[in-house]
Amino acid sequence: MGHSTPEWVYIGAVTAILIWVGAESWNIEHTLEYAPPNSETVRVVGQQWFWSFQHADGTQEINELHVKEGIPYRFEIVSSDVVHSFNIPDFAMLMDAVPGRVNTMWNIFDEPGEYLIECREYCGMLHQDMRARLFVEPNTDNTTASQPESEPTISQGTGTATVVAPGGGEVGSTGTGTMRVVEPGNITASNESGASDNTSSTASDSGDNATTGSTNGTSTTSAAGVTLSIPAGAATPGNPAYSPDTLTVTKGEIIAVSNDDTAPHTVTSGASPGDADAGQLFDTSIIMPAGKAEIDTSTIDAGEHPFHCTVHPFMTGTMTVQ
Amino acid sequence: MVLELKKPRPIWEIIFSTHHTDIGLLYIIASMVALFAGGALAMAIRAELFLPGVQIFEGQADFSRFFTVHGTTLLFLWLIPFAAGAGNYLIPIMVRYKDMAWPKLNAVAFWMIPPCMFLIWGGFSDTTWNAYPPYSILKAPGPAADMWIVGLKLLGLSSVLGAINFTVTILKMKHPDLPLMKMSLFSWATLVTSLMIIVAIPTFAASLVMLYTDRLGVTGFFNPEMGGDPIAYQHLFWFTFHPEVYIFVLPGIGMMYEMIPTFSRKPLFSYYSGVVALIVIAVIGFGSWAHHMFAVGMSFTEKTVFMVGTLAAVPSSAMHVFNFLATMWGGRIKFAAPMLFSVGGILLFFSAGAGGVVNTAMPLDFLTHDSYWVVGHMHLFIMGTITLAFVGFIYYLFPLITGRMYDQRLAKIHFVLTFVGIAVIFGVQHILGLYGMPRRVVDYLPIPELIIMNQIASFGGWAIGASFILFLYNMIKSAMFGKPVDPKDPFELGHGVEYYYDYARREPHH
Repeated sequence: MGHSTPEWVYIGAVTAILIWVGAESWNIEHTLEYAPPNSETVRVVGQQWFWSFQHADGTQEINELHVKEGIPYRFEIVSSDVVHSFNIPDFAMLMDAVPGRVNTMWNIFDEPGEYLIECREYCGMLHQDMRARLFVEPNTDNTTASQPESEPTISQGTGTATVVAPGGGEVGSTGTGTMRVVEPGNITASNESGASDNTSSTASDSGDNATTGSTNGTSTTSAAGVTLSIPAGAATPGNPAYSPDTLTVTKGEIIAVSNDDTAPHTVTSGASPGDADAGQLFDTSIIMPAGKAEIDTSTIDAGEHPFHCTVHPFMTGTMTVQ
Repeated sequence: MVLELKKPRPIWEIIFSTHHTDIGLLYIIASMVALFAGGALAMAIRAELFLPGVQIFEGQADFSRFFTVHGTTLLFLWLIPFAAGAGNYLIPIMVRYKDMAWPKLNAVAFWMIPPCMFLIWGGFSDTTWNAYPPYSILKAPGPAADMWIVGLKLLGLSSVLGAINFTVTILKMKHPDLPLMKMSLFSWATLVTSLMIIVAIPTFAASLVMLYTDRLGVTGFFNPEMGGDPIAYQHLFWFTFHPEVYIFVLPGIGMMYEMIPTFSRKPLFSYYSGVVALIVIAVIGFGSWAHHMFAVGMSFTEKTVFMVGTLAAVPSSAMHVFNFLATMWGGRIKFAAPMLFSVGGILLFFSAGAGGVVNTAMPLDFLTHDSYWVVGHMHLFIMGTITLAFVGFIYYLFPLITGRMYDQRLAKIHFVLTFVGIAVIFGVQHILGLYGMPRRVVDYLPIPELIIMNQIASFGGWAIGASFILFLYNMIKSAMFGKPVDPKDPFELGHGVEYYYDYARREPHH
């Protein structure tokens, strides 16, 4: 054919560029792959349609994540329903939250400020709103991460690493490289136990919709006659959302709210999250599965008040205060 | 002539025909219906994203249905049927046989497509075109997703039947005087594509069955609550659909191999390297599927292997670009519409390929994955390369099919609008992705940069939409009233262009 020389030169040049790209990528990815042994572990749970975070000391946050500048953090990312993708665009961090798996990723946040956390894998009706905020706080007391105890634990970054017991401080990464399956049900259960150890830690500094997971079980024993339950399956549009969904109370009564579903819910005043006065009258904040909360009606004016769930805005009901 | 709109043949004569040109025509018409229907959905999507907030749709759920059906329609009802239609029309002529090897099977393969269209459009599923479990198993109740599954199942069957027919026609029915290495590159591309379909599609067909039984609750292949693994589905899915990318693009490459030498009035630069590149990519294309899944938590080794597999597929694509450019070099090029679309396609093929190298570089993938970058990248391939080549080929076949000439001025306006529109919308979407805008969202943060770029993208999208309305008008009007042309040399390329239409000997209808 007589054309072979320019073709070979061209293919040689293309191949050389590709080899260079591949080698550089391998090199960089290799340095990103292994978390420093003194990393602090944060567990990230993706659920339809919010993020919750659990620090090694048991602190739990919802839709907000507070970290310190300059400390290596290792994220263990799990999901309790469908596939989500945990993404912090400003730090080019991306890892899928896959039910049944624990994916890990690490980073050192080097610039204090407020950043966006979003979900990048399509996960259903409120996918576009599944956002959270990352607060990188200046490291004032200048501690590096809690120094590892004598033996250097190695986080083997196979991407499917280990489970750290919530609340237990040790960063004990066994790093067998095998996947440990976490049943979706257990994740939320362990979150609750973690939260009840340290309920006071984050309730104060979190914003409007972000408070601690479950309320303490002790305070729900009041002799209120009125109960409002969230039946199993309420998270699916079309199913009964609240039982009863029209509720009549006498002013001053305390409504005991129980979440019998497998998803977290809220009881929040207003017809939808877009209402200007949503959550002004009453708001249980997030009630974890099998969790309880209560609403004190003594401060609520008489009349009809619609309420909804901020996590699943299609869940609505009406409360009439007499 | 097969299609004469002024004196149409009775409709049943076309519908019940098993002649390859009739089936080819039906394929082409069906695929163009899908092109316009899917495109209309894209226009609505761009209108919604023109401003942040939710305006046109009721919410993410409706929006999801739109982009799911948009993607499914254009990938499976436009690209695959059009390639099959063009192949049906030309392959028997090119290999000098009277028809396809199995004419009735050919008709069966085509007539599976209208029911699929009905199922996909009737269901209007919201699972996205890749239908990842557990969302598609647990959170998408109702018949929509079931209809989508059955529709795709039938489409896969149709593709496989068509592919078997092409393979047998080319390998066994080829005229004995025509050696394999003298066959046109379009035939080579169709042969390679058909073999890839036969290898790739059954995997997805199997995973669709598993997905369906999972939805019924009788199995738990992909359901973590029953011990299954959602990632297994992703592997099966991409094992089919990364090679599918080449199944989409290779017919387009084959069409460019027809058009570019013709309009450059010069023989192809290197036939041999074209054949080798087609075969090599068909083999290597099967070794790169998991680069779609770097973020699901793969080990370093896996990521490295699939990065290398992906990079290895690049030289053969680059070889085609080189071949096209070297063929044009020094030729007396006539920039008729098919040539314009081909050259535009080469340009955007190169850009999309460069973007693909960025995607597969492991650290960069975490920047671009599931963002608008990926949307821009894949549309640059699908619109910028494949659709441009296909539309160019429609113009190229137009005189052969109708015996008339299209309106050349309108065709050039169509090209300019489409090309600029594609470059604008999908270029901007790359940048949007780097700003962190996730794909598949009905709403985005009201940041000035995002708003401006989304509006530019919408204008680009609408320019494409407008140009395709011109195209439709041109096709219908010219098919009825266009100037009759000399079937030997419709593009007036002059004598000595022997490989245009020398295979256009009409065979009598069955």
